[in-house]
Amino acid sequence: MSTQIPADYLYTKDHEWVKIEGSTATVGITDFAQSSLGDIVFLELPEVGTELEENATFGVVESIKSVSDIYSPVKGKVSSVNSGLLDTPEKCNEEPYESWLVKIKIDSDADHKLMSAEEYTEFVQQSH
Amino acid sequence: MGNQTALIEEHKRLGANIVDFAGWDMPVRYSSIKEEVMAVRKSVGMFDVSHMGEFFFTGVDSTKAIDYLMTNDFESSPIGKAVYSPLCGSEGGIIDDAIAYKLDDNQSLLCVNASNIEKDKKWIQTVLKEKNFDCQFTDASETYSLIAVQGPDTQRVLTQIFDRSFSDYEYYSVHKDDHFIFARTGYTGEDGFEIFGDHVHILKLWLDLEKAGVIPCGLAARDVLRLEVAYPLYGQDLSDKLTPLDCNLKWTVKFNKNDFSGKSALYHYKPFKRLIKLELDKGIPRTGQEVFQHDIKIGEVTSGTMSVTTGKGICLALVDKEVFNKDELHFLEIRGKKYEAKFTTNPFVAGGHK
Repeated sequence: MSTQIPADYLYTKDHEWVKIEGSTATVGITDFAQSSLGDIVFLELPEVGTELEENATFGVVESIKSVSDIYSPVKGKVSSVNSGLLDTPEKCNEEPYESWLVKIKIDSDADHKLMSAEEYTEFVQQSH
Repeated sequence: MGNQTALIEEHKRLGANIVDFAGWDMPVRYSSIKEEVMAVRKSVGMFDVSHMGEFFFTGVDSTKAIDYLMTNDFESSPIGKAVYSPLCGSEGGIIDDAIAYKLDDNQSLLCVNASNIEKDKKWIQTVLKEKNFDCQFTDASETYSLIAVQGPDTQRVLTQIFDRSFSDYEYYSVHKDDHFIFARTGYTGEDGFEIFGDHVHILKLWLDLEKAGVIPCGLAARDVLRLEVAYPLYGQDLSDKLTPLDCNLKWTVKFNKNDFSGKSALYHYKPFKRLIKLELDKGIPRTGQEVFQHDIKIGEVTSGTMSVTTGKGICLALVDKEVFNKDELHFLEIRGKKYEAKFTTNPFVAGGHK
């Protein structure tokens, strides 16, 4: 199975992608995640201002037959939510790397453990 | 690795996600559940359901024996008819639900859930012995494969493949030829056939159907389709802790026919649960979520999904029969939030079967 893993993003073991620009992390789900879940029909996202611990659940992705939590890849505060996606959750299937879920303002003293595209490619291959 | 059907290599070739279901490696989805569901509602899809159990009853008492095992009336149904029914133990609890096909006066086929084959077999053999029925019981599950072809274009496709007419075959009828048993039954609410045969013929039929453009559909689509027409599933909506009278299956319990397993218990039974249909404009119901009437918890969701056909959240829920009042407001609690759920008596989708 070929899955898209763009080189300029970072990744988590929960199959989320993260793009870090300055102190802001933009988060979405990977091509591998959307393809495993199938047709995505419902999203639950946090409100702007929500404080997130690293690995804390911040939302839910539901496909027709499954419910999956989404975990925060970093410690910080939600600065922006892609609320337009709530009405068009299928965009996560169609364009997973364009369909960001939230932007998180990263805590200045926080450290993160994210994988490079290369590491994530290996992780996906090993887990399947 | 679990048990595999004769079609496993085809499923792999078609790129199916394979999951364990009742000890079987079964295709859960080939492409997209949405596309598979819509194929069945609008054109035609096919399912490998070879994991299901096929029991043959042969002998002068074959009809009588099945009639005793089920709550519904099998004895007075004519040859060539299929009958759906729960099978109940002596206390009235549902052991399984099944379809019985009357092939002729001396032979019938009972098709049971894969997860219940061993349990059913043990129970049936005990009952047949106890009641001294003159009939031979054969578990043919391992020698039979089963494909369900479902959707409005089913008849056209089968006519093309078999080069003969199927238009005289009525809904819930069964017809046997040299290689196949054709039953106009299904689990989707659409017109369609369930076709039983040996592994070799079924594999060939699957390939012919694929060539004819029939869309392969997995268990996930099958589950959405059956829930859209509110058919219950054993192990989710039905169990041995419940009787048919708790599960909206009163129509299958025929007290006027001859004695049957569970009759006396069911006759005196006062149902305490009720299986209801709820529809949500917002939120997707899932098994185990709590059902509220105002702020009182009255039960739980037993099966839930988003309907592909209507886009709404739909579910079957088992509620306290005494407390439930259809005119009150109902809610589901989904991740701590309450979502309004509307009670409905009709199936969520009408289905096109005749």
